[in-house]
Amino acid sequence: MNGDSYWTLYFFHVYKADCNMKFNSWYLSSFLISFVVLIPIITVFSSFFESTSNYYEILKNTFLMEYIFNSIILLISVLALTFVIGTGTAYLVSFYNFPGSNFFKWALILSFAVPPYIYAYSLTAFFENYGTAFTILKNLFGDANYNKNIPKFDGMFGAILSISFSLYAYVYILARASFLYQSQNLIDLGKNLGFSKFKSFYKIILPAARPAIVAGLSLVAMETLAEFGAVDFFSINTLTTGIYNSWITFDDLAFANRISFFLLLFIFSLFVLENLSRRRAKYHLNSKGGFKQKQKTKLFGKSSFLAFIFCFLIFFMSFLFPLGQMLYWTIKFPENLFDLQIIDLVLNTLYLVVLSSLVLLIFSLISNYGNRVSNNKSLNFLSTISISGYAIPGVILAIAFITFIAWLDDSIIKSLGFASIKKVFIGSILGLVLVYFIRFYSLAFNGIKSGYEKINISVDESAYLLGYSKRKTFMNIHIPFLRNSLLFIIILISLEIIRELPITLILRPFNFETFATTAYISASEDLLEAAAVPSLFLILIASLFIIISSKYILKENNE
Amino acid sequence: MKRGWIIALITSLFVSTFAIANEVNVFNARHYKADAELYSKFTNKTGIKVNLINGKAGALEKRMIEEGTDSSADLYITADAGRCGAFKAKGMTQGGLTSAAIKAAVPSNFRTSHWVGVAKRARIIYYAPERVSGAELSGLTYESLADPKWKGRLVIRKSSNIYNKSLVASLVKNNGKAATAKWAEGVVANMARTPKGNDRAQIMAVAAGEADIAVANTYYLALMLSGNKGAEQQAAAKKVKAFFPNQNDRGTHMNISCAAMVKGAPNKSNAIALVEYLLTPEAQEHFTNNTFEFPMIDGVSPNPLVVNNLGLDFKQDLKTKVSSYGAKQTDALEVMTAAGWK
Repeated sequence: MNGDSYWTLYFFHVYKADCNMKFNSWYLSSFLISFVVLIPIITVFSSFFESTSNYYEILKNTFLMEYIFNSIILLISVLALTFVIGTGTAYLVSFYNFPGSNFFKWALILSFAVPPYIYAYSLTAFFENYGTAFTILKNLFGDANYNKNIPKFDGMFGAILSISFSLYAYVYILARASFLYQSQNLIDLGKNLGFSKFKSFYKIILPAARPAIVAGLSLVAMETLAEFGAVDFFSINTLTTGIYNSWITFDDLAFANRISFFLLLFIFSLFVLENLSRRRAKYHLNSKGGFKQKQKTKLFGKSSFLAFIFCFLIFFMSFLFPLGQMLYWTIKFPENLFDLQIIDLVLNTLYLVVLSSLVLLIFSLISNYGNRVSNNKSLNFLSTISISGYAIPGVILAIAFITFIAWLDDSIIKSLGFASIKKVFIGSILGLVLVYFIRFYSLAFNGIKSGYEKINISVDESAYLLGYSKRKTFMNIHIPFLRNSLLFIIILISLEIIRELPITLILRPFNFETFATTAYISASEDLLEAAAVPSLFLILIASLFIIISSKYILKENNE
Repeated sequence: MKRGWIIALITSLFVSTFAIANEVNVFNARHYKADAELYSKFTNKTGIKVNLINGKAGALEKRMIEEGTDSSADLYITADAGRCGAFKAKGMTQGGLTSAAIKAAVPSNFRTSHWVGVAKRARIIYYAPERVSGAELSGLTYESLADPKWKGRLVIRKSSNIYNKSLVASLVKNNGKAATAKWAEGVVANMARTPKGNDRAQIMAVAAGEADIAVANTYYLALMLSGNKGAEQQAAAKKVKAFFPNQNDRGTHMNISCAAMVKGAPNKSNAIALVEYLLTPEAQEHFTNNTFEFPMIDGVSPNPLVVNNLGLDFKQDLKTKVSSYGAKQTDALEVMTAAGWK
């Protein structure tokens, strides 16, 4: 039996149930998914009113304001930087032809391959006292103490750079997609009004792309607030590291929950903002008729050179620089290359990727299809809840998951006389995949949802009129339509899992490492050189996935 | 066929934990790379498989605590007595590391029945000889780091760092909390910069002229001198000198890498066997040559880089029990935080 007929059977079964019951299987599975995703949130809030330890008092008097202040500074700076870089590059490559513009179009998304923590290692390696910059200066100009003249990109500034150069691609991709859909009519309008290029950019082009840019920026914001690796590496006290410290170091769960509460509140408002702008973006894309393919303006002379320099600088800083630093170290300390079980790491990564993608796709398909055929308000509400996992920092997710399983085991399972379930969920692939599921469900769900949105509901109705059953509609019409979305989602999930750090670090089984965990533990042991090899492989593998998927990310025709 | 493949993959989720009889499960928070070789030597010798989960101490501890008595952890190996002590205080360890071999190998101030030291390090002062005179250094103690003569000349890492917590805990133990609180204010006033970076970064700051003295562990200088960190850092390390404080009173602050017996360890006897192995000359030599720590047992010499550049004949603080580092940790953090030590 092949996979398709397996699916057919499954959906046929569910379809029959759908007709027979009020609380049907769609309902049940959507409910189950939202329940699983809600576990960490419930866990975090359940002990919100517990009393806190002495640490809380000390912290309240000294560092709490610093946590909040640092988080806000980090957030605002990263948003500003990613906005400028993301929309700037997107504008240049979508509206102009200049040397390399076709190359930069996809090369700029390679920055996704470099997670913020690896960027942070590169910054430190290059700029620290006696670092790579020192070596370069020494080789060029001879022996001297250059350390004082080399700027130090560490602390808050280092974290801002690391996160921005790694995440601006969210803004770039969404802004560019929006620019592409802008009709030539819009640009002509600006010309007719006698606007300068700059004026039409901020008076016409930018406002029209605003929903997409806001969506990109809110993704950046969520990732920034959840960021752990780079912020921890530069020892910045933010809300996220504050949660980690009070929870892990001081065992003060109640205080950790109090900080989590603020962080989640913050993230929740961004989440709402993102959803609102997404809704607007949909309206925007539905513009019917009158779409005129845009003509790219060819740049000459100085402006062409400046456009090239800007894009090249961003490409260099975001991708070539960290890649180069890691490559340099791998070559300089080649013994680390042979210490690494590269085949094992690749297999482990692949195993996680395949398994998680599979589980995520199955449940997102069920859920999306359920939403479509039943069109039930409460179902829609449940799915909105269930995509909230993406907004919860991985550190919180992983630890809340452990806390929950421990509670479940101690208070229910054992009192019923069953054997402990902890080992089944904690330190197992199952637990790891479950928490990945919570974290990345929105990626899969929204991906399929946006694929579905492009299939007008009248297509289904026509199919029914032609005598197609629901399952036949699903198999013969939906799946072929969704094929590209599905492929793209798999690649996105893979990218996320390859780069994922805190969840894997906390929940992985014995003797199980990924490139990310290997890099992190070497770096935290002050063995940055040894972190270079896994970092390099991580960047290369992620780049490969990005290059494969660039076709989908950057598709130009309005399909 | 695809269906079978999918089912197989899903089933593989549920069979991830198989119990293999002859094993020991180690939650390892130190020197992953170097120690991994050591564990495979142990396996070859005894046939006991060592299962490793590497990670940062805090996250590993949290996981063992949440797993509780069902945890598969046997041994928790980490750097710093403060960590082992605090972990014991949480009721997460059990006695049992009391075999004759262990007692014979490890001096009593470096062990309890719940955890034992497997290697030693000292937290010392590094200085730039061209900017710090012998007279200034003479009789230097940890206590005198608060002396205003060091204003703007001292670098040390953050207060959240466990090595600093243990050092300050030892001061609380010896001088009391009030005196240490005052001391911490003096140290903060003397700092050349807001604390940042690891121990090696403090040593390099002295080499680069950002500060005149630094507080860091002994093995970092040897690591830099070894050339494992590149020629530039090797050259930088030669610009600083080591000084062992408190030679005229209790001696230099000592710390350990420790192995703790986890409560409910399913493979207790294998865990004891592993700890005993870590205290054999073979394993101790491995430590000294890879991590540049001091050996825990007599009869093994530290790495020549340590012997030649740091010296051996210094007075160790054997009076302050390392188990007090865990006990006084909260006080230590409190005085540092109150002094505005970032």
